[in-house]
Amino acid sequence: MSVLELSGVSKRFGGLRALSEVSLSVSPGEVLGLIGPNGAGKSTLVSCITGVLRIDGGTIRFQDCDIQRLPPHRRARRGIARTFQKVRLADQLTVYENVAAGLASHWFARASGWPSVFRPLSAASVAQAVNRTLERVGLGDVSGAIVKSLPFGQRHFVEIARAIVSEPNLLLLDEPATGLTEPERERLATLVKDIAAQGCAQMLIEHDLELVGRLCNRVTVINQGHHIFTGAPAAAQREPEVVRAYLGMNLLISGGGDDACG
Amino acid sequence: MSKRVLLIAAVAVLAALPLTFGTFWINMVITALIFSLAVFSVNLLTGLTGLLSFGQAGFVGIGAYTLGVLAKQGHPPILAGLYGVLLAMLCGFLLGLPAARLKGHYLAIGTLGFGILIYQLLTNSVDITRGPMGLIGIPTGGLDKQTWYLIMLSVCLTMLAALAYIDRYSALGVVLKMVRHDEIAAQASGINIFAVKLIAFTVSAGLAGLSGALFAAYVRFLTPDLFNEQESFRYMMMAVVGGIGSPLGGIIASLMLTMIPEGLRVLGEDNYRLLVYGTMVLFVLWFLPSGIGGLIERLRK
Repeated sequence: MSVLELSGVSKRFGGLRALSEVSLSVSPGEVLGLIGPNGAGKSTLVSCITGVLRIDGGTIRFQDCDIQRLPPHRRARRGIARTFQKVRLADQLTVYENVAAGLASHWFARASGWPSVFRPLSAASVAQAVNRTLERVGLGDVSGAIVKSLPFGQRHFVEIARAIVSEPNLLLLDEPATGLTEPERERLATLVKDIAAQGCAQMLIEHDLELVGRLCNRVTVINQGHHIFTGAPAAAQREPEVVRAYLGMNLLISGGGDDACG
Repeated sequence: MSKRVLLIAAVAVLAALPLTFGTFWINMVITALIFSLAVFSVNLLTGLTGLLSFGQAGFVGIGAYTLGVLAKQGHPPILAGLYGVLLAMLCGFLLGLPAARLKGHYLAIGTLGFGILIYQLLTNSVDITRGPMGLIGIPTGGLDKQTWYLIMLSVCLTMLAALAYIDRYSALGVVLKMVRHDEIAAQASGINIFAVKLIAFTVSAGLAGLSGALFAAYVRFLTPDLFNEQESFRYMMMAVVGGIGSPLGGIIASLMLTMIPEGLRVLGEDNYRLLVYGTMVLFVLWFLPSGIGGLIERLRK
């Protein structure tokens, strides 16, 4: 059974068809790669799943429930977490505070949870979850640091920590490897595998095709809003339509991207 | 431990201080403390949640006039004050319904419009408020100035402690700051931005209403002019000089900005003193761009 199931999802911006009839599904513990050239509609798709954008056609089912009418915060409370292409953290707050904010989806999940927001941030229930998550993403020693003081790469991990602290069922990673150093990239790879091992479904949007090939069970390729391929990463490289979509772009794709585009 | 001793000593000094004041100054301090609740209400909206309101005087007026009118009809003042706070909260909720969807300049203009609306209502509902003739002799006497001072001091210190707790230590503080900082990220963490803003509007209106009710009970005389948009600007100015998001700075600023214009009367009764006052405010913001609160932060470090 899949956690997330999109069928025939379409989104228009005026005359521009950003997504046309895109279908895909992600299962628990699976890492689905979502790739495509710039402007293919990947970020639009993520916005449609998280509810920032309303779709014009098709259905979005999450854990067997139709969620397309739910506002973003309700989807988050049901267990859809995400990171952003351009990191969105509260810069002046500490790493701990930023990650604790991710627990809001628990605090507000039920009306009875509202009084819990008056608890101190250092309360055992909060501290336990936050500290465990920080250890997990390798930020245990900078818990008290102000986000602004962290190197750029580290901030990606803070965002991932904020997303997974609530133990979501689906994690959408929007270009998490951008700007990471080589060791950080390896840390990210280990983390993604670790999250998958705990049964969380993940969707990885990434330009680094080597990383996608290594981490993803399947990839979905979209181009100009159209779904053109879903299957094993290795098979994607042999698919003529995928090659055509990426043709001439291989110089822009870093790392293993060159071989992937064949 | 020594910090706690210091705190207790400071509170004791503050409590004993007015014994040395004359009536004129103690009046001033009490009024400034009452105003500082309205400044708190601005801080709560703008400082914590990032919503700009130029209509706070409207809520202050609702609280004040509800107490004034009901007390004159013979209701017990405390109950009348409570109704004032509740009515202000209801109005805050109703204003919040459209206003929580507005942003930046639009929100500022929307709240300004609300403030003017309330002012016009107070001025023109002569049957109820007596309009520009003013509401005179509100029967809430019985407390001497010392008691008033102590009440206001404890109310302000309690608010200060509560806001500082929410801001610095509570989970709610993080939620509010997320909403202020990045709405998209806040939503993605399961925060209902609209609900948070609506609650912020309601609570803030309640605080402003409390300020108004206390003002009416203390001064026992009301005119609509005490709640026009200029007053809203004054609260905003006090909050800004105090440092947006710093409740302690807000109290200090409301004390300073209330007392300095009066103290400047030594320069004569002309309006030149207001020129000096305005220049002083400009200089404070010049040298302390994050207000008095920013200075306190810097000294603490």
